[in-house]
Amino acid sequence: MTAKKSEAAAEEDKIIDTKRKSGSVKSQKQKPAAKEAKSVEKEVKSLKEEDLLLESGTDSEYDGDGDSLSLNSDDFDSDFYDSEDDGSQRETENGDEVHGHDGSDGNVDDDDESEQVDSENGEEDGSEEGFEQDEAVEESDSSEDEVAPRNTIGDVPIKWYDDEKHIGYDITGKKITKKEKQDKLDSFLATMDDSKNWRKIYDDYNDEEVELTKEESKLIRRMLKGEAPHADFDPYAPYVDWFDWKKESIHPLSGAPEPKRRFIPSKWEAKKVVKYVRAIRNGTIKFDKPEEEPNYYLLWGDDSASDLRGKNLNFVPPPKVKLPGHEESYNPSPEFIPTAEEKAAYELMYEEDRPKFIPKMYTSLRSIPAYENALKESFERCLDLYLCPRVRKKRINIDPESLKPKLPSRKDLRPYPNSCYLEYRGHTGPVTSLSTERSGQWIASGSMDKSVRIWEVETGRCLKVWEFDEVVTCVAWNPLSDFSILAVAMGRDLVLLNTELGTDEEQKKIEDLLNVKDLPELVPSVAKIVTWRQDEKHGGVKITHFKTITYIDWHSKGDYLSTVMASGETRGVVVHQLTKRDTQKLPLKIRGLPVRTLFHPTQRGIFLIATKKNIRVYDLRKREGPIKKLETGLREISSMAIHPGGDNLIVGSKEGKMCWFDLDLSSRPYKTLKNHPKDITNVAFHRSYPLFASCSEDSTAYVFHGKVFNDMNENPLIVPLEILRGHSSSKGQGVLDCKFHPRQPWLFTAGADSIIKLYCH
Amino acid sequence: MPKHYRPAGKKKEGNAARYMTRSQALKSLQVNLNLFRRLCIVKGIFPREPKKKVKGNHHTYYHVKDIAFLQHEPLLEKFREIKTYQKKVLKAKSKKNEELARLLLTRQPTYKLDRLIRERYPTFPDALRDLDDCLTMVHLFAVLPASDREKLEVKRVHNCRRLSHEWQAYVSRTHSLRKVFVSVKGIYYQAEVEGQKITWLTPHAIQQVFTNDVDFSVLLTFLEFYETLLAFTNFKLYHSLNVKYPPILDSRLEALAADLYALSRYIDASSRGMTVEPKVDSSSSSQSNDREESELRLAQLQHQLPSSEPGALMHLVADNNEEVEEDEETRACKSLFKDLKFFLSREVPRESLLFVLPAFGGMVSWEGEGAPFKEDDECITHHIIDKPSAGHMYLSREYVQPQWIYDSVNARIILPTEKYLVGRIPPPHLSPFVDNEAEGYVPDYAETIKRLQAAARNEVLPLPGVGAGDLEDPQNLLYAGVMSRTEEAEAARNKKKMATLEKQYHEELKMEITGTSADDLPVEEEGEEGEEEDPEAAIKQVANDEDTRSKLSMSNKKRKLYEAMKMGLEKKNEGVKLIEERKRKLKKAQQ
Repeated sequence: MTAKKSEAAAEEDKIIDTKRKSGSVKSQKQKPAAKEAKSVEKEVKSLKEEDLLLESGTDSEYDGDGDSLSLNSDDFDSDFYDSEDDGSQRETENGDEVHGHDGSDGNVDDDDESEQVDSENGEEDGSEEGFEQDEAVEESDSSEDEVAPRNTIGDVPIKWYDDEKHIGYDITGKKITKKEKQDKLDSFLATMDDSKNWRKIYDDYNDEEVELTKEESKLIRRMLKGEAPHADFDPYAPYVDWFDWKKESIHPLSGAPEPKRRFIPSKWEAKKVVKYVRAIRNGTIKFDKPEEEPNYYLLWGDDSASDLRGKNLNFVPPPKVKLPGHEESYNPSPEFIPTAEEKAAYELMYEEDRPKFIPKMYTSLRSIPAYENALKESFERCLDLYLCPRVRKKRINIDPESLKPKLPSRKDLRPYPNSCYLEYRGHTGPVTSLSTERSGQWIASGSMDKSVRIWEVETGRCLKVWEFDEVVTCVAWNPLSDFSILAVAMGRDLVLLNTELGTDEEQKKIEDLLNVKDLPELVPSVAKIVTWRQDEKHGGVKITHFKTITYIDWHSKGDYLSTVMASGETRGVVVHQLTKRDTQKLPLKIRGLPVRTLFHPTQRGIFLIATKKNIRVYDLRKREGPIKKLETGLREISSMAIHPGGDNLIVGSKEGKMCWFDLDLSSRPYKTLKNHPKDITNVAFHRSYPLFASCSEDSTAYVFHGKVFNDMNENPLIVPLEILRGHSSSKGQGVLDCKFHPRQPWLFTAGADSIIKLYCH
Repeated sequence: MPKHYRPAGKKKEGNAARYMTRSQALKSLQVNLNLFRRLCIVKGIFPREPKKKVKGNHHTYYHVKDIAFLQHEPLLEKFREIKTYQKKVLKAKSKKNEELARLLLTRQPTYKLDRLIRERYPTFPDALRDLDDCLTMVHLFAVLPASDREKLEVKRVHNCRRLSHEWQAYVSRTHSLRKVFVSVKGIYYQAEVEGQKITWLTPHAIQQVFTNDVDFSVLLTFLEFYETLLAFTNFKLYHSLNVKYPPILDSRLEALAADLYALSRYIDASSRGMTVEPKVDSSSSSQSNDREESELRLAQLQHQLPSSEPGALMHLVADNNEEVEEDEETRACKSLFKDLKFFLSREVPRESLLFVLPAFGGMVSWEGEGAPFKEDDECITHHIIDKPSAGHMYLSREYVQPQWIYDSVNARIILPTEKYLVGRIPPPHLSPFVDNEAEGYVPDYAETIKRLQAAARNEVLPLPGVGAGDLEDPQNLLYAGVMSRTEEAEAARNKKKMATLEKQYHEELKMEITGTSADDLPVEEEGEEGEEEDPEAAIKQVANDEDTRSKLSMSNKKRKLYEAMKMGLEKKNEGVKLIEERKRKLKKAQQ
């Protein structure tokens, strides 16, 4: 064995010698013929490197050694290092540090492997090529990581141990003591003595000398030459075109052998597996199914829970479905089943009007078929539940009769006229107007038959008849009891008649008054409207107006008399004064056509004029505009009456409504009663009893209890008392006038059927 | 400047701020209409009717607070999550990644509605109050065929069936069933649970058909909520009985549930032609079919059987005979059919009767396997049969039609069976939900039942003929002319008893007239003349006068209300009149 080694050493010696002398020649010699084609430049480079190496080698022996080892570890890169001459030096230095382990590995290997290699070398010295190939394979197989370095200090600078006696620790933790430094002379001598000494390299990490094997030195040599470190590597292998061009294939299918990466386990997979393993260990991934929570539990444990529903928003619970009635029965009573005609009638109805459910009869339970609308009805209910706006509606479930107000009993409000007591027959045409004498003994009536009659109230006897040429529109008895003058309006004339009632004294007075021979001159503006004349025929005064008179009204003192004509402006209403035989126009402008006028019963000079829509209250003394305007809200006023107290007013309208005004309270009605379906023709107050009445074209008269209290805070009490019937309508007219008896609670009504009726209590 | 102008940036007020339209709501919630609908259904949110509709009449308005309520609903987020998850699944499927799709489907996010139920029904009576629709729907879906097209799964139908059976078992066990009414639409039941009257409709147990004009997604959303509600309600009710819920706990039983379904399907298919095929049939026959393999279960069930109830559920409830304090009505219901034993023929609606009879204390058996007693049992008192004629008849029992049971239940007495015997047309089946007096028309049979009830209570009611005289108008009183005061008073009392408005009215009038005539007026003859002429017209006249008089003194508002009410009453009376007219004609035709 030693002999072989010495031979090899000798060879090495030679080589180095040759390198020193003429490296280029040597290299040329060693290279195979194929490599001769390599450029000269490369050779020069390799030369340079050699030189450098040698220089370093002289400085410190192990430097070069480390270099070689590092090159050995990544042999494929050697070419690259070669080409970069400047970088190579740097590499060598770095390599020394980085690959410190490798160097030691090599040393450790040395003991067993180098021997083996040597033996092999010895056996087959002749065929070096194949020999080396085997070795290369072996080397590549052997993992250098497997053998741990002797020293365990790790990658720390060695100089830290410079002052120590040891250089580190072995694997058992024992100190590795430094070897004694040899004398320089001794070492030199040793080198001189030992021919193999040049192969020895000092490893300062492990503090030992390592002897390179023959193969290692070969490798180094190759690398120095800039060749691939392994002899079996062929850098100029023939190109294999893996694509099979010969076949008529469109797609470039490769026949290349499977790459290595296909056979080695995936790194990422491995990582993922590790991850999963960790997750499993941690418990984040579970394989058994999670335990199912109980789906149902006691949701309403305690009922003490307060209302969780939105407190501010009112919740309207869904209304319940209507429960089925008898008709939905499978076997209803026969009367619930519609007849054939009714069913046919249903068919003719519109879809919406048609009853949704038509009762049917089945004789037995088993014959009931499936209800075809079951799903549809269920669906409609669902739609109702979530689509219909819900509103809480107040539905009063009361007896409608309870809505009626509690009126005081009629018995308590007696007396009032409630039944017809007398009829006054004699007129041949509709009786248009009535008037009661102050004493209550007589009534006067005017009619369409152009006559005026006076009747005795108690007996119904007709006392007197006047015949005229025109239809009588209005009659009015002078309110003074000792002054029985009757004013009669017909057409454009107003006739003041002497009724020839009363004592002689009174008669004289009346006759004086009605004798208008010496008439005073009228104001010219008035004279245009009115002319006074003596009526020869009836022995009275005839006042002719320029237009048809519609209404006359006496002042309570009996001196003034107002007439209403259908004319606007200032001429619609004139006031006659009997004593002065004078006529005055109103000093006011009337808006609209006047309908009725009224002298206020208690206050002097207060005068009410009703136009079609409104009532205005004037103070005649002030000669100004109205002091008050009452807004009735009616469409057309037909009549008006004032309470004897003077504070309350009732107004009848042509739409059948009656308004009660409290003059002190408001200009709007205190109460509006819609009592008649047709026009109200007249309204009347009783002078002393708390009664008022209205009569209408529907041939009825209403009697009301209308009590006015002295206490201002108390509202007037209005109670409907009685509906008086009896008149029959003729030509669409019913009752044309009504008047109360001045003393008794009796009511006179004048009908279009030419009868006057007296209703008593 | 128009009145409604609002400067930019100024806050809205009033109805504009309080209500929003549906599309506004959708926008603010960022959901589509479907999701919004679902949310509304499960949250119980409904549109409102603002006083002023700011956006116009043709919009649906929601209260802003309702929408805010939805906005904060965790379910909204959950629904969104599900939506995105569905996208994931869809993506996997469209990439043909079936494995991933399957995997994803197993881990779908789910939601629960229990919180919502608690929120909507804070107390248990609240839930019971709203149970009507729930029960009706669940019962309807229990008889619907499962359908892929409508996405109605077998599981849901089965669940509905189970829930409805559970509910019925509870009602039957606690004897809280009050009224039953067989209508064309189905059978109405009314039970009284915890003081709440709950009415529901079960369809006749016949194969139901799907109609096209129904949006099933709406129905199924409702059903989902109702199922949960009913399950929790059942839980609470069972809990109150100290019974564990859900009743089927045995894993073998659970395994059988699927089996049950398969069997019922099979039976359905084989007996489609039959008109009446009760469902319980399936369960009972399955019970017997599975006898070999689940003997343990049967043993469990049958030793609990009070020999009257078929379904497994019933026994679980019935087993628990803890005595609860019962009110009088419950006791009456419990003892109605106490000592009677019923046998159901094949063609009678078994499910309904198996529910009703035990609820009223009866014992039932039926034709088929698993029945507690056989047809030839000597103790059977009533044989319920719905055929024109029975084959072999036992003398010891009565053969009656099923309507007899329902009518007896409603009348709370055991009605005589003559009219209900086999082969006869039974008397009319009347609705127990109608108050005949209030309605204004009392059918003849209702009268009969009333008299029978009175007889059962040992009371004596006047014969109908006697009452009729009193029922006549006060006109005859008028005819009598002069009447003593005492008589008048008596008549008045009679009329009060009748308590019909019309008559009360007339009575007043009569008083009026007699009152006026009593007064000694000078024109006595005139008044009498009027009466003699046409007393009826006079009465009417006076009545009218009275009416107008009182109307006059009413305020406008009250008068209108009064008139509207009168109109309503008149309408109702018209209906009654129509029925009476028909009845009269029928009678005429019979004679």
